[in-house]
Amino acid sequence: MSATATEPNPKVSAKLRRGRPELYTDYAADMAMLNTPGKRLWTGLLILGLLIAPFYLDRSWTSLFITVFVFAIGAIGLNLVSGYAGQVSLGHAFFIGLGAFTGTYFGGTDPNFLGLGLDMAIWLPMAGIIPAIVGWAVAPLASRVRGLYLAIVTLGLLFVGGHFFNEFRSLTGGPNLGRTAAPPVLFGVDFSAAGPLLGIEMTARQRTYFLTLVLLIVAAVIARNLTRSKVGRAFAAVRDRDIAAEVMGVPLARTKQTAFAISSFYAGICGGLISLTSGGRLDPINFAGAEGLFLSVTFLAMVLIGGPATISGSLMGAVFVVFLPRFVEAFAHYVPLIGATGLVTVPQLENILFGVFIVAFLILEPRGLFGLWLRVRNYWKAYPFSY
Amino acid sequence: MSTVLERPASPAGSQAISTLPARVRARAAEDPDLVAMREKRFGIWQDITWGEYWDRVADVAHALVSLGIEPGDRVAIHSENRPAWLYVDLGTVAVRGITMGLYPTNPPAEVSYMLRDSGSKVLIAEDQEQVDKALEVEHECPDLEWIVYLEPRGVREYHHPKLMDWPTFLERGREHRAAHPDLLDRLASEVQDDDVITLIYTSGTTGPPKGAMLTTGNVEYAVRTLITEGGFYDPPASPDDVILSYLPLCHVAERAATTWTNAEAGVTVHFAESIETIQTNLKEVQPTLFFAVPRIWEKIHAGIHVKMHSASRLKKLVYGFWMRIANVIGDELVANGGNHTFKTRLLYRLGHPFLFRALRDRVGLRKVRAASSGAAPIAPEVLKFFFGIGVPIYEIYGMTENAAVATVNRPGRVKLGTVGEPHPNIELKIDEETGEILTRHPANFAGYWNKPDKTMETIDGEGWLHTGDVGVWVEGTHVKIVDRIKDIIITAGGKNISPSEIENSLKTSPFIKEAVVIGDQKPYLTALIGIELDTVGNWAQRREIPYTTYRDLTTKPEVLQLIQKAIRDTNERFARVENIRKFRMMPKELDHEDGEMTATQKVKRSALHDLFGHLIDDMYTNRTEHPGGDLVSVHSPEATAAEEGAA
Repeated sequence: MSATATEPNPKVSAKLRRGRPELYTDYAADMAMLNTPGKRLWTGLLILGLLIAPFYLDRSWTSLFITVFVFAIGAIGLNLVSGYAGQVSLGHAFFIGLGAFTGTYFGGTDPNFLGLGLDMAIWLPMAGIIPAIVGWAVAPLASRVRGLYLAIVTLGLLFVGGHFFNEFRSLTGGPNLGRTAAPPVLFGVDFSAAGPLLGIEMTARQRTYFLTLVLLIVAAVIARNLTRSKVGRAFAAVRDRDIAAEVMGVPLARTKQTAFAISSFYAGICGGLISLTSGGRLDPINFAGAEGLFLSVTFLAMVLIGGPATISGSLMGAVFVVFLPRFVEAFAHYVPLIGATGLVTVPQLENILFGVFIVAFLILEPRGLFGLWLRVRNYWKAYPFSY
Repeated sequence: MSTVLERPASPAGSQAISTLPARVRARAAEDPDLVAMREKRFGIWQDITWGEYWDRVADVAHALVSLGIEPGDRVAIHSENRPAWLYVDLGTVAVRGITMGLYPTNPPAEVSYMLRDSGSKVLIAEDQEQVDKALEVEHECPDLEWIVYLEPRGVREYHHPKLMDWPTFLERGREHRAAHPDLLDRLASEVQDDDVITLIYTSGTTGPPKGAMLTTGNVEYAVRTLITEGGFYDPPASPDDVILSYLPLCHVAERAATTWTNAEAGVTVHFAESIETIQTNLKEVQPTLFFAVPRIWEKIHAGIHVKMHSASRLKKLVYGFWMRIANVIGDELVANGGNHTFKTRLLYRLGHPFLFRALRDRVGLRKVRAASSGAAPIAPEVLKFFFGIGVPIYEIYGMTENAAVATVNRPGRVKLGTVGEPHPNIELKIDEETGEILTRHPANFAGYWNKPDKTMETIDGEGWLHTGDVGVWVEGTHVKIVDRIKDIIITAGGKNISPSEIENSLKTSPFIKEAVVIGDQKPYLTALIGIELDTVGNWAQRREIPYTTYRDLTTKPEVLQLIQKAIRDTNERFARVENIRKFRMMPKELDHEDGEMTATQKVKRSALHDLFGHLIDDMYTNRTEHPGGDLVSVHSPEATAAEEGAA
């Protein structure tokens, strides 16, 4: 019921407004991100739950959630370029690494290495902007090829970048050695130390939890809005049929370039925050070579398992991928032949399951976890009919 | 948009006679920003407030005066339901003119007849379709001076001296209004009780349509009885109620359900996009009050069955289980006059979360607190189904000539198969000789326009209105309609049979859309059947029976067997003499424009006897030249020929 002050404001009784979710009287309500009371309710409950969760969770679970939030930002970024714009990228780990070391360059305080020691309000945006610029610059190379070839080109980027990370020792500390990352000090508030936040006394971990949660929500809302704007529709058009998109007047090269730049920005932010999940240290080996490839594949798995071309899917995928090892660990000893004495060890099983899930989702439910949710929702949406 | 109100202190309150425009004006003065109605345009429901409503009515009223409309002049409206219909209707009444509504489906010949008969000076035509009809017959209507069109698409290029577009029309009204600010007050003070305010053309199953004249007094009495006192919806409608307007407004029932209910009770009217989108619109709007003709109820009922047929196994099981419970609830409610017992209340509460709530939501009836059915007889089975899922439908009876005031089933005193009890304070009796229902009350119409002889036939010297319906009393309180006097079949054996009862029973089958029982002066009853294309088509597809057209479908032996079974089922419910022995399929869908149905979708029997005489002869001369069958076997010469051809 929004109306500007100058217009006559049509009124209806409250009884008329309630319980008619499909009756839209203005475009704003029709277009709203949460356009039904159901979505508003569930999103509200989810956020409320996440806000009170750290006060009831133990340290390891809180850390796990921090990892989820940080990885989810990266997954959203990959989903924008691969899920929405259809450009498969294996180079995601490179942009994450670039973000991590850019952040460290601007915010690092370790006197042994390069670092300007700036506030997080500067180094975190820079951790996004520099990868975005690099993404923008390399995209013209990548956008000349499609599909499998694109995957190989981005893989190449990963290896070139990896070499750069490993050899730029004055910034990265070199492979297997690493360095301390930029401290998360935002406007003078050190999130890596215990202290009050909004008047509530918290541990360092809880403060980091809220920092990453807020950043994730901001990132997700921006991405969601982006995908339902002109830019997002251009992404989808390019993905579904690039020639048709070009015929419609969607500039192919620029759209792909935009997709890579935005995706790299998200990857960079994820990278800037990634030290929060690893005790404040960064090691270039994690973003280079085989390790880097594994990181890229992990993000690809989040997108594929969660659901390509859905923001909520990226979130689900991040939750799934991050929590999977924890559940495998917890349940492994109930299953025979697993463990140090059995056929496979727990980490091996994790990797096997990981692969199995990717294959299973690709074949059985290409829309990912989000697709599963859609099935459930549609089942009840039409109930008692089937369509 | 500015909402200018002329003198908020409405003079209508001080005047003796309340009118529909006065009500709208009072509401606009009281709370101009309250939403009066909504219309779905460009994908969303656009609000129209009471202030805008009255503003527009006043503009239209002045525009009409500026076009030369004087008290007693006729203004015709040829449009689907939309806010402009109401603006024009009330605008005309505000200048003491007479509104005449045309059905959007009326073909040019009928348009010509009604414009000529009523002598309408101004025609408000919705779009190119209606403008074309009017221009085609314009030379036959000497009184017609202006044709105002609402939708410019396609009409813009027309150059005809009588054409005017809606914005120009309104602009004229605004100018005139500025020059004569007191005109409406003066006209309102001159209103007489016996001012004719509308001509409602009866559908005319026999002979040409006749324009029934309803006066201010008639409508006021009807509004009081039906709306204020809860004759239509009980408890009476209030501003918290929501309705969907979708049946033709030129019919008295929808006029009462939309215009009158809105003005009197302040309900929010939502205009459906069209009759085809009714199911979607219902689901969006979720009205609290719902009036429908039996055809719509049957359609919703059949729709549920068809959709359940293709539902998943688990959903079917759940549905089957709770529908058995709904049957129990329905039976018990019917036995108790619609009152809940402890058992039905408990069962309904249990079934609500599992099925009833969702089911009602999907068909758009979740919020319905009072529903009614009228304008044609409805099968008790359909009523019972809706009672069972928690949508009590109260059958109401009335006709144009008594402004829809006759009888209604009151909550708690429902008798299925009857049309209920007479409204309080009206006189209603059943003629002892003919069995005809007679009514006498202030809403009895003033007569047929230009047809004093027909008026004399309908209203007798004592003021009794002869409804033309044969009725009987049920337990001294409720009226049961047997049939139209003219439709009663007297078989060769001398037995009186009411065909509509049998036809309605047949139509409860989701596969049968139209059934016409034949047997006057014949040794036994037969029927012409029209299938429901959607459901039978769906059924055939599921059985992998290939077909091309409607006609082709009616020749399939499997379809004939399906119909044969429906007829056998119906026969079990009736006495032997009322059993249908043979049937033939009607080879086309009946249509208003082809003259087989009236605008209100009532079958014109005489037209069918002419059109399908060969089918009837086929049955009574014991031939089998056309697709059909008897109770034992079916035959389809065309299908047989096709098979032979293939072989």
